[in-house]
Amino acid sequence: MSTWIRVARYQLTALPGYLGLVLSWVLVFLASLVRAAASAPPRPGEAIHYFVSIICVFFLLAGAQGPARQLPFALALGVSRRSFYAGTALFAGAIAAVAALGVTVLQLIERATGGWGLNLHYFRVPYLLAGPWYLTWLTSFAGLTLMLAWGMWFATIYRRWNLPGLLAFIAAQALALLAIYWAHHWHGWLVSFVVGTLTIGGLTGLLAALALALLAGGYATMRRITV
Amino acid sequence: MTPAISVAGLTRRYRGQLALDQVTFNLEPGSITGLLGRNGAGKTTLLRIVAGHEFASAGTVTVLGASPARDEAVLRQMIFIREDQAYPDLRVRQVVRAASWFYPNWSHELAGALLDAFGLPCGRKVRNLSRGMRSAVGIVIGLAARAEVTLFDEPYAGLDPVSRQLFYDRLLADYAEYPRTVLLSTHLIDEAAGLFERVVVLHRGRLVLNTAADDLRGAATSVSGPVIAVEQFTAGRPVWDSRRVASQQSAVVAGALDETDRARAAALHLHLEPLTLQQLVVRAAGTPAASPPEGASAERTSA
Repeated sequence: MSTWIRVARYQLTALPGYLGLVLSWVLVFLASLVRAAASAPPRPGEAIHYFVSIICVFFLLAGAQGPARQLPFALALGVSRRSFYAGTALFAGAIAAVAALGVTVLQLIERATGGWGLNLHYFRVPYLLAGPWYLTWLTSFAGLTLMLAWGMWFATIYRRWNLPGLLAFIAAQALALLAIYWAHHWHGWLVSFVVGTLTIGGLTGLLAALALALLAGGYATMRRITV
Repeated sequence: MTPAISVAGLTRRYRGQLALDQVTFNLEPGSITGLLGRNGAGKTTLLRIVAGHEFASAGTVTVLGASPARDEAVLRQMIFIREDQAYPDLRVRQVVRAASWFYPNWSHELAGALLDAFGLPCGRKVRNLSRGMRSAVGIVIGLAARAEVTLFDEPYAGLDPVSRQLFYDRLLADYAEYPRTVLLSTHLIDEAAGLFERVVVLHRGRLVLNTAADDLRGAATSVSGPVIAVEQFTAGRPVWDSRRVASQQSAVVAGALDETDRARAAALHLHLEPLTLQQLVVRAAGTPAASPPEGASAERTSA
């Protein structure tokens, strides 16, 4: 266990490298607020959800950085693949928890200020992030962990099988998406199942299960990686 | 005693190409061994497998009695610094500090002294360092870790002679105080020869020599002088090589020479010079058949 924590600590050293991106996100967000305030008249109830999407994409890319950049040196230091992956997953979970807390706090502020005084919805995403604060945190945490785990699996696939493996992995996912689209198009079950049947708590559970499945896939790939 | 590193029938194939072919040897704990051979001999592949970075196609490797590919406890007692070691995008100070977290015997004092001695700029990012300075970072980490099994693969690429000598001196000094098993791959054989207690030579993936360095020293001698005198002296002895220029001849005689031989050589006005380790390794790995030097008898493994 202590090696996992040491690996997580090692991953933490890369964190300052992302501060520039985080700062850029904050600046764009503030600029968006200023622009919204300056536009006359403000559009009440306007939903600007791409800021949450940007966080998701950012986490996907950050997840891909761990195995890609940090692995060779970790192995040189006698860290096993298993410990490296477990420590990296631990770090990813911690980062996702903190970021989810940030989204929750921003949503609380947004609610408390009536949408930043302009009735704007940055962090209140219908259905997905519309419940009480603890559910917002839990859903965000599960979603962001999922993105990190996805990114980690991308990186491990690339490390193990290079470009052909990566392309095959992307193709497999595209096929899976096509199959889901086909099922939805012909049977229309997906939206009715998700929105009609699945509660937000259930969806959070689904995201968490998916994240765990992706982590398991990444670990299985990691076991035979060579550097 | 459990060998520090035990390799048995180790084979590694890459899409039809044989990088290692049935390599077998043991290294006892507490020794500095030179891993020598030409480019493409399989040195790096061997080190990568021993470190658990690569997997064998056949054969077994154990380090301190366990498989490095499976046993975490063994991995924690190893460090492997490569010539092309990749580092995270961090400053020198951060990289060294991060490495210290993984080794219980890490010496901050030694790390600090080595950083100063190599003149490494601690605040600069490793990726912005010159090749030699990056090598020095690897040496600092490899020595300060004081890992039970330390593997160096051409650790001083790009380093100037002064820094290389510093590496040899510091390695010997620290090894004397904290003995461990060091396996060092290098092409600068004569420069590092003084370090080695044992020599392992690979040629085209095969082990051609595995012997104590002391047995190898004096295993062959260059005899030079007048043709007639050289011919008299070398008669009945195994001669590896012979060259003649006008009335002078130079021949390499295999086997150790005793006092009587030396006295006879002096009487014949012959000049004797023992072959250096590098010359012997060239003989072992450089000849078409890669035959090992005949004077080196200990645990010799023919190709």
